[in-house]
Amino acid sequence: MLKIFAAVAASLAVMAASAIGTPASAQDRTVKITGFGAKSGVVRVFGVNSEAALKAAAEEINKAGGVTLGDGAKAKLTIEFLDDRCNAEEGISVVRRIASTDAFVAVGPTCSNVAESLFGILQKKVGDASDTGLQFPIIADVAAKGGLAKISEWSFRNVPSEFEMYKSLFAWLKTQHPTLKTIYGGVEKDFAHSNATFGVMKAQAEANGLQIVGQSEWLLADTTFSTQIREMKRANPDIVAISAHPFTTCGALKEMERQGVKPKLLIGLTSSSSIETLQGCAKQAEGIIIPTSFAPVTPEAKKAAEQVAKFGGSADLHSAAAYEIVYILKDVIESQKIMAKPDTVAADRVKMREGLAALKDTKGLLGKVGRTSDREAIKPFLYVHAKDGSWQVLYKPAS
Amino acid sequence: MDLLIDTVQSIADGVLFGATYALLGIGFTLVFGVMHKLNLSYAAASIGAAYASLLILTGIKAPPPLVFLLPAICGGFIGGMVYLIAFRFIPLATPLATLMSTVGLLLLIDEIIVHTTAGVPLAYPALFSDVIIQAGPFYLRGDLMFVFVLGCLCMVLLLLLLYRTKLGLATRAVSQQPTAAELCGISIRRVNGLTFVITGVVGGIAGAMTGAAIGMLSPLLSLPLTVKGLIVTVIGGLGSIPGAIIAGLLVGGLENLFQFFRGVSERDLYVMLLLFVFLVFCPGGLFAPSAGRD
Repeated sequence: MLKIFAAVAASLAVMAASAIGTPASAQDRTVKITGFGAKSGVVRVFGVNSEAALKAAAEEINKAGGVTLGDGAKAKLTIEFLDDRCNAEEGISVVRRIASTDAFVAVGPTCSNVAESLFGILQKKVGDASDTGLQFPIIADVAAKGGLAKISEWSFRNVPSEFEMYKSLFAWLKTQHPTLKTIYGGVEKDFAHSNATFGVMKAQAEANGLQIVGQSEWLLADTTFSTQIREMKRANPDIVAISAHPFTTCGALKEMERQGVKPKLLIGLTSSSSIETLQGCAKQAEGIIIPTSFAPVTPEAKKAAEQVAKFGGSADLHSAAAYEIVYILKDVIESQKIMAKPDTVAADRVKMREGLAALKDTKGLLGKVGRTSDREAIKPFLYVHAKDGSWQVLYKPAS
Repeated sequence: MDLLIDTVQSIADGVLFGATYALLGIGFTLVFGVMHKLNLSYAAASIGAAYASLLILTGIKAPPPLVFLLPAICGGFIGGMVYLIAFRFIPLATPLATLMSTVGLLLLIDEIIVHTTAGVPLAYPALFSDVIIQAGPFYLRGDLMFVFVLGCLCMVLLLLLLYRTKLGLATRAVSQQPTAAELCGISIRRVNGLTFVITGVVGGIAGAMTGAAIGMLSPLLSLPLTVKGLIVTVIGGLGSIPGAIIAGLLVGGLENLFQFFRGVSERDLYVMLLLFVFLVFCPGGLFAPSAGRD
């Protein structure tokens, strides 16, 4: 009996000794940040870039010592990235899976249609006992359709406001090109982001005295644009604004070149200020002006672009947002004294939500990023134009 | 007057681009004619072949003919692989098994493309892209004219292969009377395999032509081209090569016409309606093969 007691006591002593936190074991603590977005399908590049940006930022933070938890321990950040295939059902499934773990926040998604559905399953108002929605904070890096964070008090975004960007761009164009009077639009009709932004472009063009002389529509996978560009040619506009992603933007631009449509000015969709457009049609896109919330123009942005490239991604306005988010999360973890322990998950989620909601501004790669009461970001931006096969800064509006 | 010009121009543009649909239709119809099976991965394999050639061409500076020769070779290889994976070891007596295996391959090829390129559209070299043939108020794109001529040439070569060679004779024999053909010493598996290689070659050229006509390749193309290829095959008559050619040009022309008159939102609706009209009133298509099969 004594032998058994001694053995049990010895075992307990060993277990207790191993449970006592030594400085070395505290160093080994990790905080997992889970990102999710499209990593398959035709928008895979967005997921690839977001994952690379999250990992790049996490590595930098870890090299600088990691993140300080609520109990004073230092922890390293690890990044996991899950694929939602840009599909609303898969997005919801992925987030439910993340929420069933110890995670206290998730970063994503890529697509606005996923964000719209996903934010809909979150609890609308914090503290509403009658609402059984998921109580889990999510901060979006890419999904760009306007006003999505309003859907739930648990949803946040660090995406630029396209309304502000195009409002500023058209006002600037009015001062720079007062002789331009007419505008013609081209829109990818079956893509939520393109459609929504096209509405913004049209409204801002009209608000700045431009006459809309027509619009052409096409679909995301369309291959011929001759009919649409003929209509455009007939309208003979001063400005052509294309709200479409690179594949059809390039298709339309190539057809414009064939039919000899040469507007005095070209305007593009934010998402087209990417390497994809230059790979597809650098020559035809020459001169196109696009507002964007990222360009490697500050030391921080240059460094971020290099870091993201190391992880196999490309820094653009979307992935730069993911990069910034990791720093935002680090700050909130530290300010809210998040414990990151299995038994504090529910409390950590509430703290994370409160911390994100309380932010008045954050540090961005191009400067200070404001936060609105409806959990959106007011990001600094600039206008880039395609020149000699690369994106170059055309103008930086005063913040 | 503008209306007439636009109508004619829309039809002309569509018919020229329809040459790619015709080649895809030929691929679908040839496999169906020989094996009475649908290969739903065909359009994806065709785009895959064009992608494969593009990846090879990024490493070497190739003369223009090689831009279209290489996808044909890649297409032939992929076609052979499709046969091995989706048909060779799957019981042919169960039609659903091969159908589903080709659906699986369609998705697999698509994902391979997406994972290789991250879904980023890639510029595809177009020949004669700066040539515009102006005829009064009308214009014809040089690159589309080239695609059209190349498509017609492929069709002629394919018909010569089928009607002037021993392989063609064997293919037609297997298509019409597989048991009798086997009794005559024709290896059905060999003919089936070669049919996939030949259709793969045609598909590779179709993929390259599509890339050249658009000026870019994207994984977005696989599904719409699969649907168009199937529509062309049904309208032309399952198993009929002349039918696939005529139906390809017809669908291309009508598609553009529908778009011009009814807009892009309704365009595909009318193409689908056309398919239903054929299925109800002319289920055999334009050129239903009259020959029986044991």
